[in-house]
Amino acid sequence: MVDYYSASKKPIQVEIFPQKLLMPDTAEELLNTIDKVTGVLRMMIQGSSLPMRVSCGPGTGTPIERSERRIINVSGQAFELNIRVGRIRVELEDRSAKEPLREAVEKSLPIPFEFKEGFFFRKKASLTDYAKYGFKSREDQSINIEDTRLLGLSDPKANPKDRICMIESNE
Amino acid sequence: MAYKPQYYPGSTSVAENRRKHMSNNVEKLREVSDEDLTAMLGHRAPGSDYPSTHPPLAEMGEPDCPVRQMVTPTPGTAAGDRVRYVQWADSMYNAPSVPYWRSYHAAINHRGVDPGTLSGRQVVEARERDMEACAKEQVETEMTCPGLAGLRGATVHGHSCRLQEDGVMFDMLDRRRLEGDVIIQDKDQVGVPLDRKVNMGKPMSEAEAAKRTTFYRIDNVAFRDDKEVIEWMQRVWELRTLYGYQPHD
Repeated sequence: MVDYYSASKKPIQVEIFPQKLLMPDTAEELLNTIDKVTGVLRMMIQGSSLPMRVSCGPGTGTPIERSERRIINVSGQAFELNIRVGRIRVELEDRSAKEPLREAVEKSLPIPFEFKEGFFFRKKASLTDYAKYGFKSREDQSINIEDTRLLGLSDPKANPKDRICMIESNE
Repeated sequence: MAYKPQYYPGSTSVAENRRKHMSNNVEKLREVSDEDLTAMLGHRAPGSDYPSTHPPLAEMGEPDCPVRQMVTPTPGTAAGDRVRYVQWADSMYNAPSVPYWRSYHAAINHRGVDPGTLSGRQVVEARERDMEACAKEQVETEMTCPGLAGLRGATVHGHSCRLQEDGVMFDMLDRRRLEGDVIIQDKDQVGVPLDRKVNMGKPMSEAEAAKRTTFYRIDNVAFRDDKEVIEWMQRVWELRTLYGYQPHD
């Protein structure tokens, strides 16, 4: 990934929407492929949750042991894949990276997919973000967050430590 | 001439399958033992007696009532069984049965059942042994594909999700999964692990599911492909709108 702040061009966002839900091996391979594309700023995966325990009904609390909930490795960064990946949203530093990304996904993904450009996660702080992080100071009323790339990547109510994975830039 | 019910209009494969489900003219595709079914339902231990909620009707001394004399009680009612449920989730991706057609199948072909139809799931409540008879029929026949339908008492999420890469409907509680080329279920309806692995057999191929499904889908058989169905739907809605639906008009 490139440094977000060094991106002087106009970033775009695309969504990759596979025809089927991805198993962990395919998801791991696809995420690594996307990460190798030049110009990727950030990406987000979304899908149905794979809970560790039964959360409702008479079986509440029963542990769920499943092999698909496992650690995956993306560019040397390991994290637990606790969803069945259904869509991947990627922010690119500019439009020139869009076609290379499409070609890389076509090579990596064994099933058909939709590939569309749009606005999927925000770049500026919302009111909820201000409520969560606050201002930097009385004088500086910008949002009190060190890395604005975190904005829009996860539910504001969730703990970002569990949900966001930072991959260091090679540059 | 004996009356022969006409269940559903249309000439497409979906209409034909819908007629099959309603008339119970369905093909048996797999064998699931009574013990395995009882285990998957999770209401009592396999092999144990049916717990009862009242004494058998024969011992109760029922009041002198012409309706009770006319109507033979179902086996579950006669024995005083508890009321228990079986609940299904069927994938929108060409699962063999639509929730409404599970209900029609139960209500037309079984007595003493209370089917409940929801958008993504379908439940049948009945006396325990009557419910098991209904569930066994549905689980063993072409009404069910183990990959595209599942027994789900809680956390039914999955019917409108895309299928997984292996062609199986997503199940949050991992009650059943593809092992080799067969579907194995090792949890009951509500996600409590069983002491056995129930082999549900091979899931249907995409082509077979498309052939046996009762779902109208734009990428298979579209609802508007069947002119007779459209004609009848429009007639039903027109009559309802004008002066209330009267089936005999």
